[in-house]
This record gives sequence, C-alpha cells and structure tokens, in this order.
Amino acid sequence: MKIRIISNLISKDLTLFFRKKAIVVLTLIGFIFYLVIYFVMPASVDENLKIGLYSPVSLPVLNQIEEEGLEISSAASEELLKEEVLAGSYTVGISIPADILEKLESKQKPVISLYFTPDTPQEVKDSMEIVVRELVFMQTGQPLAFDISEEILGQDLTGTPIPPRDRLRPLLAIFILMMEILGLSNLISEEIERRTARALLVTPATVTDIFIAKSIFGVGLAFIQAVILMIIIGGMKTQPLIVLVSLLLGAALATGISFFISARARDFMSVLSWSFPALIILIIPSFTIMFPGAVTAWIKIIPSYYLVDTVHRAVNFGSGWGDVWINLLILFSFTLIIFCAGIYMLRRKFR
Amino acid sequence: MSEYAIIAEDLTYYYGDLIAVNHIDFKVARGEILGFLGPNGAGKTTTINILTGQMKPKGGRAILLGTDVAEDVKKVKGDIGVCFETTNLYEQMSAIENLNLFARLFGIKSFDAGKLLSRVGLEGRGKDRVETYSKGMKQRLMVARSIVNQPQILFLDEPTAGLDPTSSLAIHNIIIQERDRGATVFLTTHDMVEADKLSDRVAFMNKGKIVALDTPLNLKQQYGKRALNAKVLTPGGKLEDREIALDAADTPGSVKELFSNEKVVTVHSREATLEDIFIKITGRGLVE
Repeated sequence: MKIRIISNLISKDLTLFFRKKAIVVLTLIGFIFYLVIYFVMPASVDENLKIGLYSPVSLPVLNQIEEEGLEISSAASEELLKEEVLAGSYTVGISIPADILEKLESKQKPVISLYFTPDTPQEVKDSMEIVVRELVFMQTGQPLAFDISEEILGQDLTGTPIPPRDRLRPLLAIFILMMEILGLSNLISEEIERRTARALLVTPATVTDIFIAKSIFGVGLAFIQAVILMIIIGGMKTQPLIVLVSLLLGAALATGISFFISARARDFMSVLSWSFPALIILIIPSFTIMFPGAVTAWIKIIPSYYLVDTVHRAVNFGSGWGDVWINLLILFSFTLIIFCAGIYMLRRKFR
Repeated sequence: MSEYAIIAEDLTYYYGDLIAVNHIDFKVARGEILGFLGPNGAGKTTTINILTGQMKPKGGRAILLGTDVAEDVKKVKGDIGVCFETTNLYEQMSAIENLNLFARLFGIKSFDAGKLLSRVGLEGRGKDRVETYSKGMKQRLMVARSIVNQPQILFLDEPTAGLDPTSSLAIHNIIIQERDRGATVFLTTHDMVEADKLSDRVAFMNKGKIVALDTPLNLKQQYGKRALNAKVLTPGGKLEDREIALDAADTPGSVKELFSNEKVVTVHSREATLEDIFIKITGRGLVE
C-alpha cells in the first residue's frame, strides 16, 4: 500500500465520476429534489386541537368550556363522533354517557369514552385526559369520580408533534447515501468490464491499493454529500457528532453494497436493475419516522433502520450517546459484515 | 545479472481439465524480440498473464530479470510494460490524463506525455477524450501507455490486430525503437509478416505447447520448401503452372528443361512463409 498510488487512484475515480453525465445529473437532481421536498413541507405542527363531543345530556360545565375558548363541535351520535374522528375531522372525540348525572349523584363512577386519531401524540392523549378530569371536577367538585375509557380508532401509532419537514431529515439522509450506490457501482463495474483494472494491476498498484482507494472514494463521496444536505436542512444542530458518525457508517454501508452490486453487474442497465431493489429495501425504514406505527418489528432486520432511527433520535429529540450506542453498534456490525462480504465478492472479479 | 530477461521453466497452467499452458520452457535474451505465434486458444495470452504476474502458474516458474514472478511480483512490476489484447483505456479521460495517471502510478516524476504521444503519432490529440479516438489511435495509445515507465521488458499482446497499415507501421516503429533502447520485447501476433519482419526469434505455440522456437530464417531452412514457380503457355493456348523444387538433386536439369521445352510466360522464386511452416508443423492454420 502506497499513499501516492492510492491518492492517484482516488483522483482518477473522482475525475471519472464527474465525467459521467448521467450519474452527475442524477445526483444533482436528487440533491435539489430532496432540498425542495424538505423546504415545501410544513415547518411547524398544527397544535389546535379539534374536539368532537357527543353528550346526550346537557352539562352546564360544557358551556363554561366554550366560554374559555376551547373549540368543541357536537356530534349527533356516538357512531357519528367515531366516524368524524376516523375521518380526521376531530383530533379527539369525547363521548359522555347518558346516565352521567345520575351516576355522579349516586356516587357511582360513570365511564367517559375518549376516541383518538391514530397519530395522536401521547402528550395530547394525556392532556385530554387531564382536561376531562378537570371538567368533571368543575361539574361535581369531586376528583376521581369517574373512569375514562380510551380507545384508538384505527391502527395505533406513536409519535410526537414533530414538524413534517423535520421527520423528513432521516429519510433524506438515507436517500442521499443510498443514491451513491448507483454511482459507485457503475464506476466499479465499468472498471471490471472494461478491464481497466487489469491495466492498473500490471503497474505497482495492487488489488489492496485499488480497494482502499475505492473505499475511501465511495465513503467520502457519500458522506460529504450527506453532511452537506444535513447542514442545509438543519440536521446538524443537535448532536452533530452522533449524526456524523451515523452518516459515516451509512456511507460505508452504501459503499459495501456497491461492492456487492459491482461484483454482479455488467453494465449501467444491470447496475440500475440491481441498485433499485436495494435502494427500495434500504429506504423502507425511513417510513417508520414518516408514518409512525405503519410498520412492524421486522423492519429491524434492515440495516438502514439503525441509521434512520439514530439520525431521527439525535436530530429530532437530541438523544445522546447513551440512548443510541446500541443502534450505532448494530449499524457498525451490519456495515462491517456487508463491507467485508462486498470486498470478498469483488475480489473474485479482480482475479 | 542474468543474460536472459525472461526464463520460463516447465510453465504450466490449466483451467479445470483444460491445459492452457503445457510444461513449456523457453528463454528470451535481453534486447531480443521474441515473436510468440499461435492460433486463438493456443495459450499465448495465458503465458503472458503468467509472465506479467497477473496469474500464478499451476506449475513451473516464470523468471523475469532474475526474479521469480510468482514469489515477488512487486519487484518486477516497475520493470515491465504490458499492452493488452483488448483496449482498456479510461475512455472518459484524455490521452494525456491516461498517460499521466500511469506515469504517477509508476512513480515517474518528470514525465512528458506530449513527447510520448508524438512518438506514436498522436500529437495534437492529447487533450481529446479517448472515447473520440479511432481503433487505431486507441491501440497506439495502448502501446504508448505500456512504455511510460521505459520498461526493460515489453509485453505486447496482438498489438496490431485489426489495425490499418498506418497504425500498424507506427506500432512496428515503436517496437524497433524499444528494442534499440535495449528493451526485451515479447510479442504475440497472428500476423506472420509482422513476426517475420520484427522478431529475432519466433516461437510456435499450439495447444499449450511450444512446437518450434528459432529464428525465422532457421525455421524456413529447416521446415520450408524453396521452389521456382512458373506459368507456361501450352500449345493449346492455355496457361498452366509449373513448380520446380530448388533443393532437389535434379533441380538444374529441371530448370533447363523448363526453359528449353516450354513457353515460359512468368517465373519467380517462392520462399516458405512462417504460416506454411506453422501448418506443416501443427497441421492447422494460425487463424481458425
């Protein structure tokens, strides 16, 4: 291994990469597209709660609520209330039982039902429970005089009120990293198919030199692009070191996958046909962030899950090393295995 | 320092059950041009791949400049140049960029790509991307690339295959210049005229074995048949061919008889070609 040789090989790869118009255009379009998507997404969460109420009896305290500025719409029946919650017209539906007054007077506990939309954050659920308890206290002057039945309509999702554009950050990070699979795979497969690698191997350059150069080039290119994107979209404001480490591991993962694909692909079309299934699989975990609860635990077998989850936690919640170290360890392990397997596959092609 | 640049000792290579190189032995002296001839699949390229360290022999040894290639390929890499059978240039880069890259890989600090391009007749096109070059220009650039490090041994695998006469001539000149510089040239080719013109010695390879190895003149004398070919006009007005072997005991009488008894229209001598000899030795042609 000689630094002179490796630096010349990297320089050659950079020259070739930027002379492939299709790859450069795809990369640029992707980069701009991701930024546009990010900036057109809402920057804040709509925090006005729309409350639907079904109450077959007239409670004096309800008039008092409206006077205090809470926006409440009445539903004609409990079924209609549920339908409106499911349709997204209300964030929360409150159903008051018909016998509430009798039960309160006879010191029995009435059951008040709360209906939530699937993506209602836990904080909203908790606050609505407090609101209902407060209302009942105002009505009866007694705490804990009733039970609450909480029901999620549709699939239960978890999440916090993160602005949609911020939820996009991990998705965009993985997009930009994984798009590099395409460029790097094409570059390496051409090196093999056009037999330029053979020409290099009769110079003092060795297979190891070539692999080191390709690894540095691939990881560097993907990492730099991802970092630039994250800086522009504000993804480096919290826990930048964790984000940098995650992106570096993600770039290495993408490079390892590129080695795999280049060992199989013969030309640009076969690079595309191998890359896109890989891209689609690797992007799936991002949807856990965009649509919490939309996917199940099996997603954790996809290596990129640990990248997405770490970036999400660090960027959107400010999670520290103590929270994400297991994720990073798993990501590192996946990356190491895929990287080594990719090199093994590709070495066979260089023989 | 060994007087031989290349020594192949019992060199063997096989792909599964197929023996590509079958226990071959030969030596190439420093400054010699060895023409390595044989049809497709004879084992020429495999031999080059072993000699240049791209493949490890399954048996025997390849010694370049006194170093066993299989044991220390790094030591010989800086002293050899290889021009491959198929074009493998970086096509999105210019000729100058291609040559500069390889010069840097060889650790050459003061390298003049323009001067080398002039030698192969590509002056003025150095800054153009290789993808815009014709086949002949690419091949000339391939040859130029193989000599950026001024190698002591130059391996050329079919360097003129399918080229126009101008490009072929340019490459022939480079080969002669390199030999004059002191380099040893290992040349594989299908072109018998090229081999005859350039090679100090030629080796015939067939089915993995070297079946003959000598100077072109010795091979012709040993295996060839010299003859006198004449066209004669018969009394019926038809042209007929006559051939008189020049090495036969009754040659003078036969020649005298030809000119006395027949109406000779044309007459010329014919020497055996390397291809004739190859066919005679192997029973097959070079291009199949």
